[in-house]
Amino acid sequence: MTDKSKVAEKTKEIAVNLLRGAGEDLRLPAAAPAVTYPLETLVPQVRQQTPAVGQRVTRPDGRLHGLGQTKYIDDLSFPGMLYAKIKRAGIASARIKRIDTRAAEAMPGVMAVLTGREIPVNSFGPSLQDQPVLADERVFHAGDGVAAVAAVTEQIALEALERIQVEYELLPAVFDPLTALQDDAPRVHPPKSNIYATKTIRKGDLEKGFAASDRIFEGRFRTQMVEHASLEPHAAIAQWDPNGRVTLWSTLGRITLGRVDIARTLKLAVNRVRIIATIVGGNFGGKNEITQEPVLALLSKKTGRPVKGVFTRGEGFVATTTRHPFVMEYKTGVTKDGRILARKVRLVLDGGAYCSWSETTLGKAAILSAGPYRIDNLLVEAFVVYTNKTMTGAMRGFGAPQVCFAYESHMDDMASALGLDPLDIRLLNVFDEGSLSPTGQVLQSVVARQSLLQAADRFGWREARP
Amino acid sequence: MNVTIKVNGEVHCASVAPETTLLSLLRDNFNLTGAKLGCDVGDCGACTVIVDGMPVNSCLMLAGQADGREVLTVEGLAAPDRLHPIQKAFEDHAALQCGFCGPAVILSAKALLDENPAPTLQEIRDALAGNLCRCTGYTKMIEAIQDAAAVLRGETADGPRTGVSHD
Repeated sequence: MTDKSKVAEKTKEIAVNLLRGAGEDLRLPAAAPAVTYPLETLVPQVRQQTPAVGQRVTRPDGRLHGLGQTKYIDDLSFPGMLYAKIKRAGIASARIKRIDTRAAEAMPGVMAVLTGREIPVNSFGPSLQDQPVLADERVFHAGDGVAAVAAVTEQIALEALERIQVEYELLPAVFDPLTALQDDAPRVHPPKSNIYATKTIRKGDLEKGFAASDRIFEGRFRTQMVEHASLEPHAAIAQWDPNGRVTLWSTLGRITLGRVDIARTLKLAVNRVRIIATIVGGNFGGKNEITQEPVLALLSKKTGRPVKGVFTRGEGFVATTTRHPFVMEYKTGVTKDGRILARKVRLVLDGGAYCSWSETTLGKAAILSAGPYRIDNLLVEAFVVYTNKTMTGAMRGFGAPQVCFAYESHMDDMASALGLDPLDIRLLNVFDEGSLSPTGQVLQSVVARQSLLQAADRFGWREARP
Repeated sequence: MNVTIKVNGEVHCASVAPETTLLSLLRDNFNLTGAKLGCDVGDCGACTVIVDGMPVNSCLMLAGQADGREVLTVEGLAAPDRLHPIQKAFEDHAALQCGFCGPAVILSAKALLDENPAPTLQEIRDALAGNLCRCTGYTKMIEAIQDAAAVLRGETADGPRTGVSHD
């Protein structure tokens, strides 16, 4: 007995050596190359130092970033994982008459096809639930998804999209926010009005302020749509398990909000949805909302396999939120020496096809639109309207950069017309300690004047300019 | 088709479809996910790796084109007992925020310093022209590369300097 097992061991050894001996001619399989990195523990210096001000700060995640060891969503993969692609409408406004997915479904390698009608609750949004996960009856902008495919490779999924036939009936569309405001403009979400949120701020007596002014200036300013273009594209992986729970690995920046939206669209209890977020490769507001997550979840449910979706850079531009384009009209009454007595502001925000974070943007833009200046008589009227374009939502500043461009340009125009130095007209009007904001807030710790003077001093504003 | 390439010093083979990019070969076949897919058209530079000493957008190079060549990815930079001086300088300067562009920027810097051990500020900027960053901006990266260059030349010990020259 003992001898037999010894013999068996001996034979095994020879076999292994034989295999090793053949290594010279054997082509190595596609095994992952060894990765080397330091194994000592990283101790951030900053937490041991008091005070921290003036000390060099390293980031707790900096080492993994530098070694290429940070795992973003697209760096994860699971056995049997499928790849999903979404077919985009490419038409701004239309009724979907018919979708034929049979040819795509028949393709070898295609595991499932999904259309908008199969989504349990086909709407979502942070304040108004006006956005479909996949368009079902109507297309509201060209970036709307109309069908999705899960296949064994990305190539097959892309080819399957080509074989999905969608028949559209074209509908009138509106692209300019000022046109969308008019009564006879095509309605983006009929029968609802195109104006879906407004904000008005009144302070003092506007007419009296204008009557007392020596000069009245008017200006109109427009800004454009901007995409966040975070370097990491939107990506997610869904896995529906046999307990009826779904796990989503996603680039979402706000996972708790996203979880509620996903549970609602899938008609699941919130505790059936688990979201795992890894490090986000840039957000800037563009990853605040769900995009393809419910689609991937349902494709995983249909196929019983994990499903990954990664947006192309183009999809990032047409099918995720962007910064609101603004049309801003300013009318300001001033004394001869440049003191502002009254200001009227009218803001029209181009909301694109869906509400998203428009209400937050509208509020912040309206409150900040008068600028950091003491103005006793003020009227701000702000509107956000639907157009048949990519939806606009959260982006760094929530409307603040747009109005800043307008009120500061307006200030320069007035200074030039009055023959004043642009710095002087600002110093004459800028907020001081205890100034009242447009909404009546008493401002504290105000250093606007000091900041202006210090900046002017630092870059030599008062020195002679050519 | 069969591809045989030397990755981070080791010879590896893979059988891939002809349309496979070098980026996909590295990420999907070799699980080297340090190189990222950002735009897939060679604009953002997040997929930069070093092929035969040259920084390359691996999303634009087919795996077949890399056959027989030597590829260095970010995973091949550090030694078991220490970071590469460029990685150390990037960590000390907190030069990476979200980190998505980081491995590619570090490899562009490596290719530059291998070629030119004492680059000017403008030469560093030019070397990073193909790498986009949307978070931190480039100032800290440039400072880190200046520091790493000094360390690699043996002028200063491994570690951050207090002042950074802007020549």
